[in-house]
Amino acid sequence: MLNTASLSLDQAPPISIPFRFFLTAPLFAIAAGLELLIFGSEMLISRWSPFTLGLTHLITLGVLSMVMCGAMLQMLPVIAGSPVPHVVLVGRLTHGLLLMGTILLKISFVTGSKPATLLALTTLGVGFLIFIVAVGIALWRVVTPGATIQGMKMAVIALAATVVLGILVAVGYSGIGNLAHLTSLTNIHLSWGILGWAGLLILSVSFQLVPMFQVTPEFPFWVKRHLPYSIFICLSAWLLLRLGFDQSSWIDSAATPVLTLAVSGYLLFSMKTLQLQSKRKRRVPDVTLLFWRLGMIVLGLCVLLWVGGEFYSQIGDTQYFSLLLGIGLIQGVTLSIINGMLYKIVPFLCWFHLQSRQMAFMCMTVKVPHMKEFVTDKSAKRQFYLHLLALVSTVAAAVAPELFVHPAALLFIASNSMLLANLVLAVSRFRTTFKLLAPSA
Amino acid sequence: MEYCLDVSNLEPCEPLERTLAAVARLEAGDYLRILHRREPHLLYPLLEKGGFSWLTRTGEKTLFEILIWRRGDKSAESAALGS
Repeated sequence: MLNTASLSLDQAPPISIPFRFFLTAPLFAIAAGLELLIFGSEMLISRWSPFTLGLTHLITLGVLSMVMCGAMLQMLPVIAGSPVPHVVLVGRLTHGLLLMGTILLKISFVTGSKPATLLALTTLGVGFLIFIVAVGIALWRVVTPGATIQGMKMAVIALAATVVLGILVAVGYSGIGNLAHLTSLTNIHLSWGILGWAGLLILSVSFQLVPMFQVTPEFPFWVKRHLPYSIFICLSAWLLLRLGFDQSSWIDSAATPVLTLAVSGYLLFSMKTLQLQSKRKRRVPDVTLLFWRLGMIVLGLCVLLWVGGEFYSQIGDTQYFSLLLGIGLIQGVTLSIINGMLYKIVPFLCWFHLQSRQMAFMCMTVKVPHMKEFVTDKSAKRQFYLHLLALVSTVAAAVAPELFVHPAALLFIASNSMLLANLVLAVSRFRTTFKLLAPSA
Repeated sequence: MEYCLDVSNLEPCEPLERTLAAVARLEAGDYLRILHRREPHLLYPLLEKGGFSWLTRTGEKTLFEILIWRRGDKSAESAALGS
């Protein structure tokens, strides 16, 4: 016999908390697309250009972290049975500070203003600190943490490392403080952001979400048990080796294989996920699956590109290498998966909150829309193809900016506008039914 | 009387939807056996609010088996627990 203790609905945050994160994210993506449209190929000259860095952070902070933070606040009570303390206050503060901090950081990149940089770093630092402490308390309270919770803990540690490194890098480049080895620190910052924070969160959450939402077999025990730890240990070892900033050859010869091991872990993850998805028990069309498959295929390609660049200077030294890797990992992998998951999370939350209200009031005369009625497959699929075209165009723009940068920007704006429209429509359907489900009805 | 519902190959939120539709049809003495591949944590608060009792146990055909009856229906409860 099993423990049948139910989840308290009071533990989950009100629907407005995750939704404010989810609805803000496409706005930042549209802003990033507009910037690319206005400034054109200037944005893709080098990963070190302030414009490119500003654009990258609009997406990594304003889109990716925005959705990831909102989803974690919502999911922890459900996945871990552990609510985030003061979730409403934490949600409001994290959202507000992340929103302001991202805008201020963008201003600081473009103007180079020291006050704007200080303000941006303070706002983002405080916002992430509140989030990390609150989510950390919820995660470390779990008595018997499974693979997903362990992975989430490591992702949150990676977020903390990314934020601290990011602040140090910004302090150094803006001239607020005098710091050496800024190139190395920047590489560690972005590696921990992508491979640690985003990568480990996607990896650990997928152990639950892929079998549950896509009705696939479970991930093998050895993958769930060992993969997140192995990647985290390799990333930590690489960090320690690199933090020495010693350019001696033995450090280089030790650091590269260690990072290669971490990256190989993601290749294994992408192949395993694709294999599980090919064994789906119920082969009904599913848009989220398309986004996931795209993300996993691009992840595999990025790993191969990275390995190629690391071991063959003919690849690694080309001017496109870093840009292509960044576009692949941010737009191709992380954005694809996050975009796909929004099409599961948002309709599910709408449906579940309405169903719960209906049961509470026993108001059975009002029909609660089915999950697929909140966002139709047709409109979600159209947005997927726009997303795919935008990705292909951006990759082409990295190689031939004059030809492709404007189509890439337009397609990216169109894709994210459609995502926003789909989400807004879902929320408006939720509100209409919510009002109908009243005690007197 | 026992009603059986296999939701083990359905994706969320179909198992929840079908279960809620099926429990709404339960009459005195009836109970519902749900065959599921995962433990449906989100179902429980909805059952609680709807006035149902339940028991979750390891299943024979699927990983989990959830027995549901109307709260206070002693005959359905003893039939479910004895099944």
